[in-house]
Amino acid sequence: MRSRFDEQLSLLNKKMTQMGAECESIIALSTKALLEGNAAGARKAKEQGHKIDQMEREIESICLKLLLQQQPVAKDLRVISAALKMITDMERIGDQAEDIAEIITFLGGRTGEECHDIRLMAEATIKMVTDSIDAYVNGDLELAKSVSDYDDVVDDAFDRVKQTLISMISENTADGEYAVDLLMIAKYFERIGDHAVNIAEWVEFSVTGVHKGE
Amino acid sequence: MTKKIFRSIISVAMVVLLASLFIASSFLYDYFNKSQVSQLKEELSLVAANVDEAGVEYFDNFDSSMFRFTLVSADGEVLYDSQANVTDMENHLDREEITEAIENGNGSSARYSSTFTERTFYEATRLQNGNVLRISVSQVTVGALILGMLPAICAIVLISIVVALVLSHKMAKDIVKPLNELDLENPAENETYEELTPILTKINKQHKQITRQMQELRQKSDEFEQITASMNEGLVLLDKKGMVLSINAAAKKLFSADETAVGRDFLTLDRSTDMSRAIEKALDGKRAEFREERSGSEYQFIISRIESNGKTVGVVILCFDVTETAFAERNRKEFTANVSHELKTPLQSIIGSAELLENDLVKPEDTKRFVGNIKNEATRLVSLINDIIRLSQLDEDSEPATESVDLYDVANEVVEVLTVSASKKQVELNLNGEPCVMNGIRRYLYEIIYNLCDNAIRYNKDGGKVTVTLKQEEGNTVLTVADTGIGIPVEHQSRIFERFYRVDKSHSKETGGTGLGLSIVKHAVQYHSGKVTLESELGKGTTVIVSF
Repeated sequence: MRSRFDEQLSLLNKKMTQMGAECESIIALSTKALLEGNAAGARKAKEQGHKIDQMEREIESICLKLLLQQQPVAKDLRVISAALKMITDMERIGDQAEDIAEIITFLGGRTGEECHDIRLMAEATIKMVTDSIDAYVNGDLELAKSVSDYDDVVDDAFDRVKQTLISMISENTADGEYAVDLLMIAKYFERIGDHAVNIAEWVEFSVTGVHKGE
Repeated sequence: MTKKIFRSIISVAMVVLLASLFIASSFLYDYFNKSQVSQLKEELSLVAANVDEAGVEYFDNFDSSMFRFTLVSADGEVLYDSQANVTDMENHLDREEITEAIENGNGSSARYSSTFTERTFYEATRLQNGNVLRISVSQVTVGALILGMLPAICAIVLISIVVALVLSHKMAKDIVKPLNELDLENPAENETYEELTPILTKINKQHKQITRQMQELRQKSDEFEQITASMNEGLVLLDKKGMVLSINAAAKKLFSADETAVGRDFLTLDRSTDMSRAIEKALDGKRAEFREERSGSEYQFIISRIESNGKTVGVVILCFDVTETAFAERNRKEFTANVSHELKTPLQSIIGSAELLENDLVKPEDTKRFVGNIKNEATRLVSLINDIIRLSQLDEDSEPATESVDLYDVANEVVEVLTVSASKKQVELNLNGEPCVMNGIRRYLYEIIYNLCDNAIRYNKDGGKVTVTLKQEEGNTVLTVADTGIGIPVEHQSRIFERFYRVDKSHSKETGGTGLGLSIVKHAVQYHSGKVTLESELGKGTTVIVSF
């Protein structure tokens, strides 16, 4: 009985890692599409988004099956409930990366190079998502904590992007629509960073049993 | 085992103890009864003889507390009793012993009292006068006897249990001790129970076999590890569930893994979606191959299935660093694209002019100009093709024979050839230096100097200067071509030796040139195992130093 349970747990683990990898790759795709002003890449990101949604359903059903059939306790229960919470965050990351990709199709090939901090944000969020997934995979508490700290970098960058865009609009160097689109992209990146922090917090919970949000 | 032996010993002891108690007591009781009966009979015959002689009066002075005597007449009436009142006693004719005595002369019986705690033995004998004399004695029964002895028995049993416990515990331990002290590492060297010898021999045999097999296995895995460790390519073995079975040093570095990676899911080392897909594909039995960038280098991953008896037992992942190959491939692609472009441009111009001429759309006075155009473009095409041929010759490894060449002579030749074009651009072309004889291929050396000088003139300013210097320096021949031309921007300096690379992206025809000159120089210099260095400042000029 226990061996079957272990098998299901490791399947869950595997699927979670795969979903994390999909999240990483969708952000990378969106970022690449942004930096290259490439609408085709943006469409690819959209396909990836569907896959992430599918994986969320799949993992959800694995978790529920585990909860109902095995009635886990203690750490197993924490891992499974944390997984249930984490997939919601991952799914949101996928959605937001998809949204970024959608905005890119409206940019008409412009790459936001006027605003260097957006690139910085993109890199920082990729790192955060990668680190949070790494923390989950390796059960690395230190790494999980570092993700939460790294969020400040993204937040600061977002503030700078906002300032740059405001001055861009007031100096009339960019048309308003473009500036607003860039702001939305920056905001989505900032949200992705927040979701990565959430994931890291759930990783902490699944290891220690204490959730930082409490 | 100790427990089992202990339990067996103690139960045997208990059974023996209880059995012996029972047997002994029943024997004793039986013996006691028999002796009682014979004593009764003796007493009876004695008293009977006396009563026969003296009659009933004999009892008058008779005192017996031990036995009870009863004299019964032949019709059952009690005539005398030593312990009860005669008048109260009923007729005794129905008593077993009396009846027996009347009939046979002697009779005996034993009866239990109403409480069963006592048993009374009766012996009767017929006297000469027909009366019956009966003797009886009462005695406690076995049950009562045992009941009486119960405290003593309990004490004995308890003491024996304690003794048995202690002894059997020690015995059990003693029996098991040699077993516990068996040296299983060297099973043959034990001196213990004889019964264990076959087992020990067998263990010894298997022990040796296992040691040998372990050694073989270790040797094999060592060999495998040593072979894979020195591989530059990454090698990872996974089982069919995707767990890492083995990972070599190169792969560890690539996936930034450590010793703990073995036994973990490969996903924890690398979770790129391409990789997962490729592994899945490989597990399905198809060979998968893909390229991906990892930490700045491009890697090619080949994933194939490991099969055993037709079953998938795992996959093997091979990782090659293909950064250089990929770079070369890109270069080749770029080269092909460039060549076709460069070849097409003059041809298109030729076709255009020719079409105009064909359709009589050119004024007669312009005809000459158009034909001149066609000629110029065709010349350009020819020189381009010549350059490409030269380059491909250089690319081929067939090395022409070297000869002794005076570089100064070659340079002189070049200067003579180029004087015309130099004077056209109003550039002063000078040759300084000494005769430098070296071993080389004259044709290639000519190409080097020609191309360098040609560039120096082509990319010069009007009224500029080109100086070719030749000298011997520390056993090396050093050729310097310095100009006062337009110079090369720093960001382009590293790339100008690439084929078709132009600082001026428009590929402008003003300056002419094919974009292959410096590439030819580079190859030709490499042929002579020389070195090209470039010093250039934008707007001031360029100096190319070639040392052989």
